[in-house]
Amino acid sequence: MSTVEVKHVWKIYGEDVVAVKDVNFLCENEEFVALLGPSGCGKSSTLRMLAGLEEVTKGEMLFDGKVVNDLSPRDRNIALAFESYALYPPLTVYDNIGFPLLAKGVDKRVIDQKVRGIAEDLELTEVLKRKPGKLSGGQQQRVSLARALVRDPSVLLLDEPLSHMDQRVRVVIRARIRRIHDELHTTTIYVTHDQEEAVALADKIIVMSMGLIQQVGTADDLLNLPANQFVAGFIGEPAMNFLEGKVEGPNQVSVHSGGTPVSWAVKESIPKSHENSPVVVGVRPENIKASKEPVASGVKTRVDVVEYLGEERSLTLSLNGTILKAMVPIDFLVKESESIWLTAAPEDVHIFDEKSGKALIKFKS
Amino acid sequence: MAGVKLENVTMKYGNMVALNNVSFDCPEGEFFTLLGPSGAGKTTTLELIAGIKQPTEGQIYIGDQMVNHFTPEDRDVAMAFENYALYPQFTVYDNIAFPLRAPRRKKELTPIQEKERVLEITTLLGIETFLDRKPDQLSGGQKQRVSLARAMVRRPQAYLLDEPIAHLDAKLKISARSTLKQLAHQLGTTILYVTHNYREALGLSDRIMAISKGNVEQIGTPEQMYETPATDFVARLMGDPPINLVDVEIVSENDRIFLQAEGIFRFPVDKGLLSRMEEISWEEEGKRMVRIGVRPKNVRISMERSSDNAFELPVYVTVREAKSTVVTFELTHNFFLGLVDNDLRLKVGDKVWVEIDQNNLYFFKKSVELTK
Repeated sequence: MSTVEVKHVWKIYGEDVVAVKDVNFLCENEEFVALLGPSGCGKSSTLRMLAGLEEVTKGEMLFDGKVVNDLSPRDRNIALAFESYALYPPLTVYDNIGFPLLAKGVDKRVIDQKVRGIAEDLELTEVLKRKPGKLSGGQQQRVSLARALVRDPSVLLLDEPLSHMDQRVRVVIRARIRRIHDELHTTTIYVTHDQEEAVALADKIIVMSMGLIQQVGTADDLLNLPANQFVAGFIGEPAMNFLEGKVEGPNQVSVHSGGTPVSWAVKESIPKSHENSPVVVGVRPENIKASKEPVASGVKTRVDVVEYLGEERSLTLSLNGTILKAMVPIDFLVKESESIWLTAAPEDVHIFDEKSGKALIKFKS
Repeated sequence: MAGVKLENVTMKYGNMVALNNVSFDCPEGEFFTLLGPSGAGKTTTLELIAGIKQPTEGQIYIGDQMVNHFTPEDRDVAMAFENYALYPQFTVYDNIAFPLRAPRRKKELTPIQEKERVLEITTLLGIETFLDRKPDQLSGGQKQRVSLARAMVRRPQAYLLDEPIAHLDAKLKISARSTLKQLAHQLGTTILYVTHNYREALGLSDRIMAISKGNVEQIGTPEQMYETPATDFVARLMGDPPINLVDVEIVSENDRIFLQAEGIFRFPVDKGLLSRMEEISWEEEGKRMVRIGVRPKNVRISMERSSDNAFELPVYVTVREAKSTVVTFELTHNFFLGLVDNDLRLKVGDKVWVEIDQNNLYFFKKSVELTK
């Protein structure tokens, strides 16, 4: 049980390679927090500094209010599991998992019980007697995860712990990780590049890009109230559509549509400073309303591809060379190269500054 | 271009049967997908068509010709694999043009025609601006498109594509999928496509063949495979979160029929279903059993008891998705999943009422193993 606080933390490699820029966040006790972003965004550097594996260039890291910058990894009462496994090759899976407990002098019977328990949770029971060299990548990753989880740590740090597992196993283990977190009452910080995984697991998601925090929020915040175009495009699948537009009035934007632009209403007031400015208009594929007949304010697009996906149909549409995606109900029947008209409910329209990418309405900072 | 047909094809490696009496008929121009988990025999099927391997039994046709004794070259099919295997010393252009310059095809195309062909395919795939680069200057997604372009630059009888977009990250995969479908339409050539991803199979294909351990489970259109799966195996392949499979006892009582899972639930079903259920039922410890399938979206979860047929279960875990939250319950032999709105916050151990929508029940013979 711990709170984790990161205050004005920087990581600079060498003279001028800035990996982490003035990052601030707080993980509450027992919270499950995801550090999410594309590769090179600074998420792993941040985690490695929390683990004590890398020095903090500038700023402070606090566990339960105490600065840990100068504590060695072993004095932080954390458990770690990384994408690469770092298992002891001569030891069996059983001994690899039990090692941290053995090192602490825990009673052998307790170790046995714990190792078998966690092995069952992570589907490793059948390979307990094997050596790591005889396991698949996904299995080795689960052993590494089991070794981290077996210790009842106060802070659990996980860096892409599921990346080498196949889809079916990943979904199962994902659910188990969340359950173990809830049972152990630990504070968990989880690094991933996979937005679906972050949404699935985390109470709070910290989105990073180019060393900077882009937004901190719940999955709902990030999905419905993205702070900028990066977050809007990164969270959600298929990605949010972006169209060229121009502010016409406080609640009105024009959207480029082949011929004459059409007018779309938005729910919140766009700042006056942006009147008549070009903006980026964002709509999620699942919020697009598609019509086979021309409709008022409809953006005319051409259907390039129709994909049946069981619960819905995915349409790939083109608008003056821009590719758009729309998810429509199964009973919306349309063929390739037909035209359809798109609109969106005012509450589903996002507006971003054309240059900075900052959200102008419908955001939480 | 031509269709591809397999007749009673069996492939054995020693005693191991990789393909067991497989037949299908993929007409000219069709996008035909082999869908199944790893080890199902999908890649072996492509290798047999390409002539890389010889079947133990059965006939393989490309167009009207039985090709069992043809060399791979004479079959005139193009194959692309999951791993890119590009020549690092060649430019993207030369990598893609390579199949056009194979010794036996040397005289077919002039350099101008070759260039036209490369530009056509690379423009379709959106990589026409990288032609002068070397493979190591490309991202993983770009390499995969180069590999696809190389496989598709020729005009063979058929394309054989083995997990060509499996390595791409989730967002690239979505765009690659629609690009590939567009490409298939434009080329109009027969495509045999291998994947373990049901979304790719549903989204891309004219027809799908589901295959398990070398056996054909079902062949049908995407709609048929998703809406009327022939077996529990096919049902479980199609959908994320996957369909729930539960073995239940059929109980007759006072002229009514109930389905029950001991200690968990019991609900009445329409009597008209009895003959269908009995046909596929089995006997277990004196009980008449049948396997039911219900998709998570057809499981109703509420805090209050919604009807007499609802049953109470503790939440094992919840996992959030963009549009809804998946709630997992633990049954005796496996997990049971339902969906709830994201604003209903449930915690581990919370007790909720669960009801199965009886209008959306599937019945299956028992074939796949149920595990947690």
